[in-house]
Amino acid sequence: MSNSSDAVIRISNMNKWYGQFHVLKDINLNVRKGEKIVICGPSGSGKSTMIRCINRLEEFQQGALQVNGIEMIDDIKNIEAIRKDVGMVFQHFNLFPHLTILENLTLGQVWVQKKPKAEAEALAMKYLERVKIANQANKYPGQLSGGQQQRVAIARSLCMAPQIMLFDEPTSALDPEMVKEVLDVMVELAEEGMTMLCVTHEMGFAKKVADRVIFMDAGEIVEENTPDEFFGNPQTDRLQLFLSQVLEH
Amino acid sequence: MTANSVPSKIFTPKAARPAPVKTTGAVAWMRQNLFNGWFNTILTLAIVVGVGSVLPAMLDWVFLSASFSGAAQADCTGTGACWVFINAWSQQLFYGTYPAEEIWRINICVVLMAGVLSAPVWLPHHLRNRVDIALLLLFPLVAVVIMDGRLLGLQYVSTDHWGGFTFNVMLAAVSMILGMPLGFLWALGRRSTSMPMIRSICVVLIEFFRGVPILALFFMGSVMLPLFFPEGTTVDKLLRVWIVLVLFMAGYMAEVYRGGFQAIPKGQYEAADSLGLSYWQTTLLVILPQVIKVSMPNILATAVMLFKNTTFLLIIGVPEVLNTAQSALNNSAWLGGYASEAYLFVGFVFWCCCFGMSMVSNHIERKLDTTRR
Ligand SMILES: Nc1ncnc2c1ncn2[C@@H]1O[C@H](COP(=O)(O)OP(=O)(O)OP(=O)(O)O)[C@@H](O)[C@H]1O
Ligand SMILES: [Mg+2]
Repeated sequence: MSNSSDAVIRISNMNKWYGQFHVLKDINLNVRKGEKIVICGPSGSGKSTMIRCINRLEEFQQGALQVNGIEMIDDIKNIEAIRKDVGMVFQHFNLFPHLTILENLTLGQVWVQKKPKAEAEALAMKYLERVKIANQANKYPGQLSGGQQQRVAIARSLCMAPQIMLFDEPTSALDPEMVKEVLDVMVELAEEGMTMLCVTHEMGFAKKVADRVIFMDAGEIVEENTPDEFFGNPQTDRLQLFLSQVLEH
Repeated sequence: MTANSVPSKIFTPKAARPAPVKTTGAVAWMRQNLFNGWFNTILTLAIVVGVGSVLPAMLDWVFLSASFSGAAQADCTGTGACWVFINAWSQQLFYGTYPAEEIWRINICVVLMAGVLSAPVWLPHHLRNRVDIALLLLFPLVAVVIMDGRLLGLQYVSTDHWGGFTFNVMLAAVSMILGMPLGFLWALGRRSTSMPMIRSICVVLIEFFRGVPILALFFMGSVMLPLFFPEGTTVDKLLRVWIVLVLFMAGYMAEVYRGGFQAIPKGQYEAADSLGLSYWQTTLLVILPQVIKVSMPNILATAVMLFKNTTFLLIIGVPEVLNTAQSALNNSAWLGGYASEAYLFVGFVFWCCCFGMSMVSNHIERKLDTTRR
């Protein structure tokens, strides 16, 4: 466990209920700067809910969460400050369909960061080049393939200069041949030292970049370990069962 | 390929099939669309007979035996329609009793209106949002100033003389322009979960203005509303019906937007939130454009309804086009019963406008469609 003082995300005893349903049970997790964490687990185990709590797309009822030293409380100032530091990439891309790719990337910069438009566009083009899609800048999201859209979504998040990136199954809505182009971008990002929390079932990606892999089941963190130990020497029956099911595919 | 590997089979030609029924051209089209099955055949024949028995007489009345030229009742010599009547009264039908030498002001307003309403089509993409909104909100003010004339040092024309078809058009346009944003605010209020008070107020407003017939609203506007104003203030009757129209429009638009809001996936809000956009930024920059886009057909339908409903103002004595037509019909120089001509003409003019609106909105829809490759 990394309880060191340089944690950028501290989750302690976090609990969340949907009505009677206990989705998150006593979650404890510290993430160090630059650490890459992969979260996996069966469907409905609360993976999305947990990472969505980190940028307040979901609220939790008990426990505490700190991002970059900022306490997650109801105060809109804190929420805004945390969202500034945290970028998120979704399963279904969630690009804005009425804006061009370039406008998707500049919207946040211009309205949230109050940057001049030219500066925002320059940065947007820089990131579009990095995700190898600069030639599509003036198209609309509906005109791009799924893999291209997801790369745009990653670039859109990066434009906001986040310190932490959250990924919620970024490749599971993609056709198999497009998964690699998105994973390549994510690997590159990991190599540059971005702090990443990634919900994914791409085990190859986990082995390659993760510092820690976390297994969630029924709202609990059941097991966490280095990728080698996690895949090579699973401790709990639940994880063994899960891995055998995932690896069958 | 398999034929080569089975040489034992002997080729025996089949008898030629009959030539296929022609699948293109007029005959084929009629066969496919008008005579496919006994039911459609009967329907088609019935319609042909029905139209055939009415159309010749109608064409005869409208065109062949109609009188077109002239200026007075005496010129109506034909046995058909007397279009001379429309001719003679055309200025009143279009401009009401606005002074003839000042009619250019109305024309300017109409041209301005056409320009402003079509702005989304001709404005360059990067200017569209800001300039368009500014133009739209400025137009009602500018139109009123031009029509009234006092501020510009022109001849003052009181609202009693604003009338005719152009008045219907502008009243509808101006009510649309103000009713659309107001309706959006009401729809937002109705969606609000954190402010129950505002939510209830919006629900009541929307349901009231959608639930009460527009005629009743007009009567309330012209008769009841003055009771609520402080003693001694007189609020122009036109202003009162205008307010009614705006609120009526807002009620309907709020409902249209509600459907639009439901079509926006949750992910759009989440993406906007995760970028750090505020509530109003998300609403105006991300959600509103998409709501308008999906609601476009319904917005147009509501606009057409509002436009046609302006003729109800006849009942409370506002000199809109039908009212003007009725005074023309009652004019002592034209007591011959030209009601058919008058109403057919008014109907035709309305139809032309509504059809034009459909065309424009189709164009806008195609332009807004960002999924095309
Ligand atoms: N808004 C909601 N109301 C009630 N229950 C919900 C809501 N959202 C999620 N849940 C429930 O919470 C549980 C956890 O959901 P979550 O989306 O976090 O699972 P997940 O681990 O991400 O699953 P998946 O792999 O399918 O994405 C599920 O059982 C789900 O049914
Ligand atoms: Mg999920």
